Amino acid sequence: MKALIYFAVIVGLVPVQSVLLSHLSVWGVKPDLGFVAVCLIGLIAGELDGLLVGLALGWAMSLFSAQDLISSAILKGAVGYIAGLVGRQVVYLSPVVLVMGLLVVSCVVGLVTPLALKLSPQQDLWWAAWMVVLPQACLDAVIGGAIYWLLWSRLNIEQVMSESRM
Amino acid sequence: MRMVNLRVSYNARRVALGLAVILVLGFLLLPGQLQSVFQSIGSPLGWVISWPLQAVAGIHDRIADIWGRYVALQGVEEENQQLKRELDLLKEQNGQLREASVATERLSALLEFKKQALPTSVAAQVIGRDIGNWYKTIILNKGASDGIQSDQGVITPAGVVGRIVKTTASTAVVLLVTDPNNAIAGLIQRTRDEGIVEGTTQGQARLKYIPLLSNARPGDHVVTSGLVGGFPRGIPIGTIIRIDKEEEALFQSAELSPEVDPNRVEDVLVIRSFPLPTEGDRLGVPKPKP
Repeated sequence: MKALIYFAVIVGLVPVQSVLLSHLSVWGVKPDLGFVAVCLIGLIAGELDGLLVGLALGWAMSLFSAQDLISSAILKGAVGYIAGLVGRQVVYLSPVVLVMGLLVVSCVVGLVTPLALKLSPQQDLWWAAWMVVLPQACLDAVIGGAIYWLLWSRLNIEQVMSESRM
Repeated sequence: MRMVNLRVSYNARRVALGLAVILVLGFLLLPGQLQSVFQSIGSPLGWVISWPLQAVAGIHDRIADIWGRYVALQGVEEENQQLKRELDLLKEQNGQLREASVATERLSALLEFKKQALPTSVAAQVIGRDIGNWYKTIILNKGASDGIQSDQGVITPAGVVGRIVKTTASTAVVLLVTDPNNAIAGLIQRTRDEGIVEGTTQGQARLKYIPLLSNARPGDHVVTSGLVGGFPRGIPIGTIIRIDKEEEALFQSAELSPEVDPNRVEDVLVIRSFPLPTEGDRLGVPKPKP
């Protein structure tokens, strides 16, 4: 069942991200739903699930982007793994804390990405930080926070987290 | 407190850590090899994902069409409240026909262009945009099974769109001419000076390495030089809007306004192959008579 859900997430996210999210972009920057999904899966289901879904999602997304396949998979996998480790250490996670966490992690990943991609000299770190990383981190945090708040308000998220790791 | 099964989680953590170490080592030691292996393994996965991708793109187009028509009808309704329902129906039909006519005209032009200029090209539709924010790309509904490969040029009747950077069995990713990571060999049509066209972060393009003695000026057209990079000679790239000449620089550069607005591209042609010009063709040497 879990595997089926993960497969649906991977197959469903690519069309949503590439077709529908172009309309939700702010100043030409759109959120990375893959990053949000991997963070939440890592937090809720643990580091192994986070890592594997991150790797698979990064790989699938890179097939439909100019982004380097390995860096995409490794970054998403690392995010899922770290989210799993963080999720193991916390007993209670409020949506506000999650939003702040997503903001910080998205910024860190966003700053590492241009270094991993070896982009054009025009796209230096300063440009990346202001034009892509910060707006994207804000969008990621808002969307991730909204999804987590929905789960949090409707489900006993602590119980789901402990059950999914058993 | 949460209940945690320590034995399973410890094993899971070990497996996860082991996988992470192997992948990071693989990434550091064999990046090129791993990339091509994963790319070929990923082709079936890409084929699977391309189905929902095309379905979502189709639904998206349908909704956009209906939404556009709905808004248009709301305007007409406000302006012509006293008109009969039949007239509304006729207007709706007219709108549909006009849309169909525009699409037919666009496709006919593309077909005509294909017949005349590029007999070995493949027509494709745009079904998506880049997934991330780092590159400017579009996704096409044709892929490796249609003979599309990396580095092939992508054009419309108006000019250059970009070049293929990645393919799956049924889709292809096009790096747009306005992406700073793209480089296409260009030629100023009037002065015949060659250079390299790169995208800019502002969504324009720039012709670099123009000789200092060139008398290029705003308004000059830049076309593909046909020397390298999947394009035949003479496909329009853009028009020069500004010349930048820095002191003590070895070359000058020019800012271009691309002929094709990549954000509005719907149908394109992928150039599968074209006869490369020989040195004689380039220099204009007359061919011997048989």
